Amino acid sequence: MFSCWTRRQKANMSKAKATQPQVIHKVIMVGSGGVGKSALTLQFMYDEFVEDYEPTKADSYRKKVVLDGEEVQIDILDTAGQEDYAAIRDNYFRSGEGFLCVFSITEQESFQATADFREQILRVKNDDNIPFLLVGNKADLEEKRQVTVDEAQQRAQQWSVPYVETSAKTRANVDKVFYDLMREIRSRKMEATRQSNGKPKKKKEKRRKCTLL
Amino acid sequence: MKKGGAAPLVTGVSPKEGPPGTRITIRGENLGCDIKDFIGLKICGVDCILSAEWKSPSKIIARSGPGKGKGDVIVITRTGGVGSCTVGFKGYFVQIGPLQDSAIWIDESQTVSIRHGRTQSPIFSKEDEDPLGISDEGNQAKFKEEELLEMFPDASGNMALQNFSPAWYLLENHHDTSFEDMKAGLAYMKRRATQRSEGPIAFVKSNLSSTLDCMESLDALHQQYCADDLRGDSVNQYAVLLMQAKSCADGLFKEVLGRKDKADSTRNALSVLQRFKFLFYLPLNIKRNIEKGDYNLVINDYVRARSLFAETQVQVFKKVYNEVERNIGEFREMLQQKLMELPNPLDEQKKLIRYLLSLECEGDPAWECLVNMQQWLTGILCTCKEDHIKEEQMSQTESEASMLKSPVSHMSIDTPKGKRRETNTSFKSTLSPDQSGWKFNTPQKILFIEELTDIMLENFPSFWKLGQAYFSGSLFVNVKENSERPQKTDSSKHSKFKQMVTDVISLFSNLVRAAFLPKSLENTPEENRKEFGIWRDNKQEIPGAWLPSGVRYVRNCVSSLSLLDLPGDCPTLIQDLALDMRTDCMVTLLKQAISDVKQLHLKETWAVETDDESGGTTQLPALFENIVNETIQHLHEVVVQNKVGEPEIFSQRTVQKDATVLCTQLLQAFAPCIHSLAFNPPFHSPEKSNSLPILTAEGKGTLGKDKVPVTDKRLIIMLSNCNHTMVRVIPRLVENLNKHGYVEMNKALRAAQDTYEDLDDSLFEAYVEEKSNPIVGAIEQNMYKGGFSWKTCGKPSGVRNYLKQVIMHMIEVHAEVFAVSPVFVTRVTQKVIEQVSEEFTRVIQCVTDHGKYGPVQARLELMALQETVSLYLTPHASKCFKEALGDLPEVKTEDRKLSEELLNKFKSQMKFQMMCFYGDSILRNSSEA
Ligand SMILES: Nc1nc2c(ncn2[C@@H]2O[C@H](COP(=O)(O)OP(=O)(O)OP(=O)(O)O)[C@@H](O)[C@H]2O)c(=O)[nH]1
Ligand SMILES: [Mg+2]
Repeated sequence: MFSCWTRRQKANMSKAKATQPQVIHKVIMVGSGGVGKSALTLQFMYDEFVEDYEPTKADSYRKKVVLDGEEVQIDILDTAGQEDYAAIRDNYFRSGEGFLCVFSITEQESFQATADFREQILRVKNDDNIPFLLVGNKADLEEKRQVTVDEAQQRAQQWSVPYVETSAKTRANVDKVFYDLMREIRSRKMEATRQSNGKPKKKKEKRRKCTLL
Repeated sequence: MKKGGAAPLVTGVSPKEGPPGTRITIRGENLGCDIKDFIGLKICGVDCILSAEWKSPSKIIARSGPGKGKGDVIVITRTGGVGSCTVGFKGYFVQIGPLQDSAIWIDESQTVSIRHGRTQSPIFSKEDEDPLGISDEGNQAKFKEEELLEMFPDASGNMALQNFSPAWYLLENHHDTSFEDMKAGLAYMKRRATQRSEGPIAFVKSNLSSTLDCMESLDALHQQYCADDLRGDSVNQYAVLLMQAKSCADGLFKEVLGRKDKADSTRNALSVLQRFKFLFYLPLNIKRNIEKGDYNLVINDYVRARSLFAETQVQVFKKVYNEVERNIGEFREMLQQKLMELPNPLDEQKKLIRYLLSLECEGDPAWECLVNMQQWLTGILCTCKEDHIKEEQMSQTESEASMLKSPVSHMSIDTPKGKRRETNTSFKSTLSPDQSGWKFNTPQKILFIEELTDIMLENFPSFWKLGQAYFSGSLFVNVKENSERPQKTDSSKHSKFKQMVTDVISLFSNLVRAAFLPKSLENTPEENRKEFGIWRDNKQEIPGAWLPSGVRYVRNCVSSLSLLDLPGDCPTLIQDLALDMRTDCMVTLLKQAISDVKQLHLKETWAVETDDESGGTTQLPALFENIVNETIQHLHEVVVQNKVGEPEIFSQRTVQKDATVLCTQLLQAFAPCIHSLAFNPPFHSPEKSNSLPILTAEGKGTLGKDKVPVTDKRLIIMLSNCNHTMVRVIPRLVENLNKHGYVEMNKALRAAQDTYEDLDDSLFEAYVEEKSNPIVGAIEQNMYKGGFSWKTCGKPSGVRNYLKQVIMHMIEVHAEVFAVSPVFVTRVTQKVIEQVSEEFTRVIQCVTDHGKYGPVQARLELMALQETVSLYLTPHASKCFKEALGDLPEVKTEDRKLSEELLNKFKSQMKFQMMCFYGDSILRNSSEA
């Protein structure tokens, strides 16, 4: 399904603008309200840190980046952490190729909530190996820490995902989490391409079936 | 569009979807280098520039327009042209049902109208539009409606219709969706379905329109039945059922409807609040704005509120408005109080007055302010005077006390270092202020005048200007509507104000006069004089050097006040004051200088300094010149410089006369000093004299310690001083006086020169007498010494000694004069020689009986004397010699030869002595050249 999507994308993009990089990695920011998802995104996208808290509904960002020498586009969907918007999450999750699951190291509840997010993502994506990073944000507020590195690391191990601590304020590890996630997405895609290349017919059939339906 | 700018690129939207009017934060690159550069914004094809707010080249905030579906966000800039985007915005319409929770306020009139048209457009919630919960992300190439119709001739994709075909729907909306996604969608739909069946309320809520449809259909059916079924039996059953359904439905919605009613009333209250927010917030706003000092706003608000609510009958409004009135009342009082607080800058006062007028204060705030200001000004002027008088009395008693303690140093001040500094009380006056530690000694009156003029300058102009503004009506600009207002500035107040101004000015003038010109107040009644202040002392208290600074303060003040265009007598009052101050200062200083000069003889040290220009003088003439020049200097500003609008000080005939007389006196004042020093010097020796060598620098003869020189020395020294004064000092001083504008100085010069000439004559005569008397007196006696007789004398053997003695005496005189003042040598020597010649020839002529050799001897001696002093012979002396020689009997040729020989012998003998007279004449000639 990924290749299918990318190919279509490729065709469209080449029509619109030849210079646009062809590959798009779709990243989704998840996590409780106020943990700093938007702050991380804006820091990554625009090098700015926003002090005020403005709850997000669903924001969309996309820009060109160079990933290990290759020019690609990163598409970031910044979702709502607030419970009020929980209902619209399912839809969004479906389109994601990788997830940054963010909690704030200064808020134990936000850490607890990561389990629910993880569960929902796995349910929607139906894929245990979906590219996923556990991100402990607000690392600059060490004096207010409520979540120890150990307990976070333990949970990450349990899920077999990396754990990274970031600070949207100081920009520590901000680039790292996005690039690491993109690398995982890329390798997942390459794997998928290899598989589908091995069974090209199956894919075609599937497509036709869809049309017939 | 400028070339070279990079095209805008939108890379972020927040949020990425929403109904029309959603506030969107757009981020990206090159979104315009400034607000002017940003010229266009399209969201989903709709121009949104009007709602857009440019924040930075990377951030714009805007509201979405009525675009539906997913579309681009395009920014257009002047420099970068039409841009592109990597992200888009999805617009959708939400219809919030009457029972849905909503965070925003919904216009329900729209809901109602939709309810009426519900059969045509059943209401679907958002989930109903997308029952599988799969976003239409991938819906790129849709099947066309015709194609679908072809495939499913009898079906439709509308879920609300009976012929709904799921296949149609899936092809239309999800033909490109993967199987995986489809499965997920199915699961999603199932979850939703279970949610829906959670209870009747949830079911009714989510199918409200259908339920209502049912109800209405049933109702219609019922009516139809009633109409058709005449028996009505069968209907009852249904009717009961319907009733039950209705009451059940009502029950279901009772709570909801109750809430709606509550919501309605809340909303009503809110809208009332909103509409009259202004009034309700007014009391608070008034307080806040008063605190902030934004009085204009307060007044505007109040005026607006008054026009809207003053007549209101509504209780709530009345209550609030009354509070407003109360606040404004307090505000008014505060303003009035502020207005009465002084000092206050003019602008501030004007503002306050205008505020009060716009608040329609009773009375006439401006006038009250003026009256208050006048009282206040009068008050501080008087307080200033009283403070300084008190201060002065205190310092006086203090100084008296300290005088008692240490009678030697009359008034001593402890300097920080602990040394005692003495104030010279015997010779104060023209000493410059810094000579006597002036910081400590600034006279009280000077401090007083400084403060008084300061007070006037700082406050009077505001007072006057405020008054002018009041009468010109410029304070009333804000209340033009009130036509009766300006008439309040009636003419009775005009003259009152004039009187007030004049009162202040004359008070000021009188306060100054009381301190500096008490004489000019002599005609005022006693009690008034007390009011202006009785200063204990007389003028002598103020050292002369301080007076001009006092005058300066007054004049500065007066000239500033003169610029104000004051009414009535005021300009004259203050101009007179300034002129009187100047005149008084001039007269005082000149008088002080005169008395100082008269004291100069106490300062004589008898040390003679010789220089080529003036010969030998003591320091006294220089001291005299200094005193005069310093006085002129001190008076310079007072006398010469005129400020704008001031009259020339000498334009007043009496002033001019006084000044001339005083100047003449000043120039003459030195003469008595010289006179008294020459003829009866004070015998206590002045300071310093004991340590200085007396007489000349060449050291010829010094006088004993503590000794005044003997008469003849004194005479010649004073003669020299007098001459120097007359010839050099006086002309210089007169020139200086002329330069400073003193009038009729030639008259003064002449008078002074006459004085000094007379003095010179009497000194000269006295001196010459002093010198020639001994010589002349001795001639006859010595001539006949040793029984000499013209009749019996033998053949002459040479010039006799007595004559040589005479010559030696004359040389002595010559030397003495030369030592003191070479210029006098000729004058004195001539005079002495004349007298000697006169006497000598007289004695010779008295001889009646010449013997044989008598005439030869006489001739020889006459010739010898004549030869010796030939260079100093006056015509009178020559005549004497000629007559004496002529009266002598004829001398034989051989005797004549003898006398010639002897004369030559005398000349060679007396060569050195005679050189005194000759050498001296060379010097005299050279100095005259
Ligand atoms: N000190 C510090 N503050 C942060 C950091 N990251 C975010 N914040 C602050 O935390 C608050 C919330 O940040 P957001 O990024 O808006 O939170 P969010 O996760 O996007 O919240 P929702 O949009 O409601 O889901 C903001 O006031 C940020 O300034 C961080 O790393 N350090
Ligand atoms: Mg956010």
